[in-house]
Amino acid sequence: MTLRTRCLAIAFSLLILSGIPAVCHAGDANGIDTASVQRGAYIATASDCTACHTAQGGLPFAGGMAISSPVGNIYSSNITPSVSAGIGAYTEAEFARAIRKGIRKDGANLYPAMPYTSYRTLSDDDVSDLYAYFMHGVAPVDLKPQQTSLPFPMNIRLSMKVWNLLFLDSGTFAADPSHTADWNRGAYLVAGAAHCSTCHTPRGFLMQELADRGFTGAQVGAWYAPNITSDPLSGIGTWNQAGLVQYLQTGSLAGNARAAGSMGEAVEHSFRYLSAADINAIATYIHAIPPVRDPGDAASRFSYGQPSSAVVTLRGQNGVRSDDDSAPSGAELFQGNCASCHGAFGQGSKDGYYPSLFHNSATGLANPNNLIAVILNGVDRTSAIGQAYMPGFGGHPSDMNQLSDAEIAALSNYVLSQFGRSGIVVSSNDVAQERLGGPSSPLILLARVGMGLAVFVVLLCAILFSFWYRSRQNTGRLKIS
Amino acid sequence: MSDNYSADVVVVGTGVVGCTVAEHALDAGLSVLMLEAGPRVERWQIVENFRNLPPSLKANWDAAYPPKPWAPHLETYTDASAAEYLQLEGPDALAYRQGYVRYAGGATWHWAGICWRLTPEDMKLKSLYGVGRDWAFDYNTLEPYYTRAEYALGVSGPSDPALQWPPMRSKPYPMGQLPFGPGEQRFTDVAAKIGLHNLPAAQARNSGVSYNGRPACCGNNNCFPVCPIGAKYDAATTLPRIEAKGGVILANAVVYRVETGSKNAVQAVHFFDQDKVSHRVTGKVFVIACNGIETPKILLMSKNEKNSNGVANSSDQVGRNMMDQPKISAQITMAEPLWTGVGPVQSSSIMNTSQGDFRNVHTGALFRMENAARSRVGGLAALKKGLVGKALDAEIRRLSACTATLTIEHELIPLPYNRLTLSAKKDWLGLNKPNIYYDVSDYVRRSTATYTLPILKQLMAGLGTTDSQINNFYTHSDHIMGGCIMGTDPSTSVVDADCRAHDHDNLFLPGGGAMTTGGSGNSTLTMVALAMKASDAIVSQLKAG
Amino acid sequence: MTHPLRDDCPLEYNLFRRQLLGGGIAFIGLAAVPYGVAAFADTVPNMPLPKFMEVSSLLINHQLNGDVGGRLATAMGVAYPDIEQNIDAILVIARKNNAKIVEDFYPDIPPGKLQDAALAIISAWYSGVISEELGSEVYAYELALMYQPASDVMTIPSYAISGPNGWNASAAPLADMPKF
Repeated sequence: MTLRTRCLAIAFSLLILSGIPAVCHAGDANGIDTASVQRGAYIATASDCTACHTAQGGLPFAGGMAISSPVGNIYSSNITPSVSAGIGAYTEAEFARAIRKGIRKDGANLYPAMPYTSYRTLSDDDVSDLYAYFMHGVAPVDLKPQQTSLPFPMNIRLSMKVWNLLFLDSGTFAADPSHTADWNRGAYLVAGAAHCSTCHTPRGFLMQELADRGFTGAQVGAWYAPNITSDPLSGIGTWNQAGLVQYLQTGSLAGNARAAGSMGEAVEHSFRYLSAADINAIATYIHAIPPVRDPGDAASRFSYGQPSSAVVTLRGQNGVRSDDDSAPSGAELFQGNCASCHGAFGQGSKDGYYPSLFHNSATGLANPNNLIAVILNGVDRTSAIGQAYMPGFGGHPSDMNQLSDAEIAALSNYVLSQFGRSGIVVSSNDVAQERLGGPSSPLILLARVGMGLAVFVVLLCAILFSFWYRSRQNTGRLKIS
Repeated sequence: MSDNYSADVVVVGTGVVGCTVAEHALDAGLSVLMLEAGPRVERWQIVENFRNLPPSLKANWDAAYPPKPWAPHLETYTDASAAEYLQLEGPDALAYRQGYVRYAGGATWHWAGICWRLTPEDMKLKSLYGVGRDWAFDYNTLEPYYTRAEYALGVSGPSDPALQWPPMRSKPYPMGQLPFGPGEQRFTDVAAKIGLHNLPAAQARNSGVSYNGRPACCGNNNCFPVCPIGAKYDAATTLPRIEAKGGVILANAVVYRVETGSKNAVQAVHFFDQDKVSHRVTGKVFVIACNGIETPKILLMSKNEKNSNGVANSSDQVGRNMMDQPKISAQITMAEPLWTGVGPVQSSSIMNTSQGDFRNVHTGALFRMENAARSRVGGLAALKKGLVGKALDAEIRRLSACTATLTIEHELIPLPYNRLTLSAKKDWLGLNKPNIYYDVSDYVRRSTATYTLPILKQLMAGLGTTDSQINNFYTHSDHIMGGCIMGTDPSTSVVDADCRAHDHDNLFLPGGGAMTTGGSGNSTLTMVALAMKASDAIVSQLKAG
Repeated sequence: MTHPLRDDCPLEYNLFRRQLLGGGIAFIGLAAVPYGVAAFADTVPNMPLPKFMEVSSLLINHQLNGDVGGRLATAMGVAYPDIEQNIDAILVIARKNNAKIVEDFYPDIPPGKLQDAALAIISAWYSGVISEELGSEVYAYELALMYQPASDVMTIPSYAISGPNGWNASAAPLADMPKF
């Protein structure tokens, strides 16, 4: 046992015995490298571990957060240094194996909801610092979170070994000397800690990232993470460096986009805390991603629409009504639910706090899921400039305004036709699917069908073999005494 | 559909008091059934109703809330329409034209959101000043319930004790103060010059941040008749949450009778649905919280053999002691702009004028400027002058900026002759309309003559008033109190310190009706505090078995 | 219980509203075709839109919305059967004075039915209604001009003035006038 490990072990035992939070201000007295813990804290922030490993209203890193995936809910694990419920018994090597290879201490595989496919690029030093942080900078929580149980056959973690063989690359990040240090730092952060491609890169049928279509956009639960290549029509090519930096730091770029869903969380828990140098490095790298055009895009998603309103014809038409069994039009729903903040003409508020609905990627994307998702779930994103908040309109049973699938479809279609990209149509079914957390994957059904077929084939072979065997018996070829 | 309506706690009325009790009971694991006389409506409809009103009607709180035939409420369009439902008599009959919508969510749909607390002195009028009554407990007993009420509604207020009313708090306000607009700032400065403190109001309005899933105030300046976004607390915002917790809400269910049984306990309530079919609802504990007019009305309508004066009425106090804050309004035009319309419709008041030794002679009052945007009133007035072009625009701007409404709200003490009884006139369902006799008394009139009007005139002078019109009659503040008055003595009060009816162990009547005195400030926070106190009693009573 | 604007109210009030509504609906189609008035002139007893917009622009020197104008024109045509003649007469006066703004010709409009018509048109655009009587239909609220002169300071009620707590106690000088 090295001095370092022994000191860590002593420190750890002290923690278990005393139960005090593992922030060791005494520093190196117990052999704990406080600088390493602090660096680890920063890397954990950059990697946004808390976004998944801290449940809503839960204790930090104690797990239990439901991550919706097309094959069901995956619950995050407790990564506090609790021995009974968390990773307290992990050695640094076991910790590194979990982060880089997606394998738990007990040898079972993690689902790639844990983005080990990205984190494998982290440097050895960074992983070491992370370990120090999780062992000494986080309070242990002895509560076991809810366990993941995906439908058969996804619950067989062994299948992940095959998946990893096919899709998990190995090796840490390697700098590209033909680019600046800034670009390389950005590339390192994007590939690893910030794991941007896990959301922004489309996935194949077996849910592996399609590396040759990197950053061109993908559906993530209820939200769509759009194309962030430098294409001026399909991506963010019209943004300059300062704009991208502002967006990452605050989640808001007026006249363009506002972050919500998982990106809103990433801004709130991760990007807003990164150093200016690191944010700029990320922006440098992202900005330099070669453009990839979707041939269906005739204009940039930030450029659609203009101020317009149905009040010119709608105002006063319906008088004063006391019943709610009328089927409201999208225009009425917009006026009554949205216009107070977003303006009768969709122009937003004068100070830009409430965004305009034109020149807004939520209405300018070809995929309307973000519009539906934001109506259902709202926005709640805090950064250095304060809280950006929009209530949800039915995504939660306790939302004060509960709009139905049909109402949200009508509202979305009105908003899209008034302020956004034309020709996009939202149906009630689209809304229903979004309400459940996004499109599901046929993977489970097909896997089960495939397995059923396999079993059938095997049985058929067995039956056929037994007939053949008996017929051979009867012809005397096989002597049985 | 068979009548199988039953729950541990049956709550009549889905206003702020009923919803407070319902949620508390649900959180304690009890089953809850709520009965609401009127319809369930969508917020967006009320907002559009308001916008679809002609300008002259936009000031009428009720115009955006057309009542259902089975759940009538006051309609203010004309004197004739106003005389339809509430039967009012007495020298100050006009001042009891109380506005409360009979919709799921109740009157907080259209309240201003102001959350003043009573002061310790407000609760001891009899011992201190020889008028009115003393409460059954003191401010310190009520204080923790005030705090819980503030955190349940989401109340914003100042952190500086010099600006708090009263500055006796165990916890800070859940949210910080909302900023003043130009009008309030100017009014504050003018008031200070004559030794009056215009304080930022404690208000159930989200200040700068979201709260309980509701967004922050963005200055819609539309608190009445409706907050378009739910930044102002109203009970309607809690209805989906109550249902998500397992509460059942029946709309268009007009309770008309409380049924008592063995040991004079309440056995059931009966309601009419919109087809005039009667239904019976059983439960263990019954809460009647349909505001200070409808609650005593139901109790009086429920008289039976054992309770010949009405349910809960052995004291003969049900329907008596009707209180409100008699209001004097003044319309003023000033030489310099005041500028209303920035921020909420009410965001401050002068409160120190409600306290003092003079209360043994005349009552106290609060003063306030109304912050509802004057552009509508100013615009209509300018248009009547036959102006055109730049002159018209300038006059609209001038009248928008330089006119205002100032308000005095006097405290009214409980007087037994201010009384609600059952009118012989019947409504659409055949139920008695409420009849209310109202006389604000010399205790108030003396205050107006010698105290509040002189102060008002000083304020008007300080504001540079060039023209004014002061009402010489009192109007309503919509703070209906006293009809089920709380006290320790069952012969002179209707409910005990937990708002439990003295006569019936399992009947609770929290809300404005239970308030022993009203103070000068808006009553809602005290009502919610009493609802919290009653809820605690209900839960322990049911858990004890 | 006779509220003219409620959907569950007695028939006689519904008819009044439907009458106006009928004109309004016809004009929604019309508004989409700005000057295609001729096709509809025979079906609805109303005012040709271009003329109405011309006189409105002269009487009110602000941006006027054509769709709102269409609804007002129809409604005023029904409420004031002789309005077209009055508008013609007012336009004659305006042209005679080479008027660009209302101050150029308004003093020359004689008191009586012509001046009343001019003020009625101005009032309709500013208040968003053509009658303030109980039950009058609202043609404009967000676009009712009377909210514009003070709009740099106070909000049009039910619309946000700013983001949360984004307002303060400062106000523009009274002498300012927003552009609209």
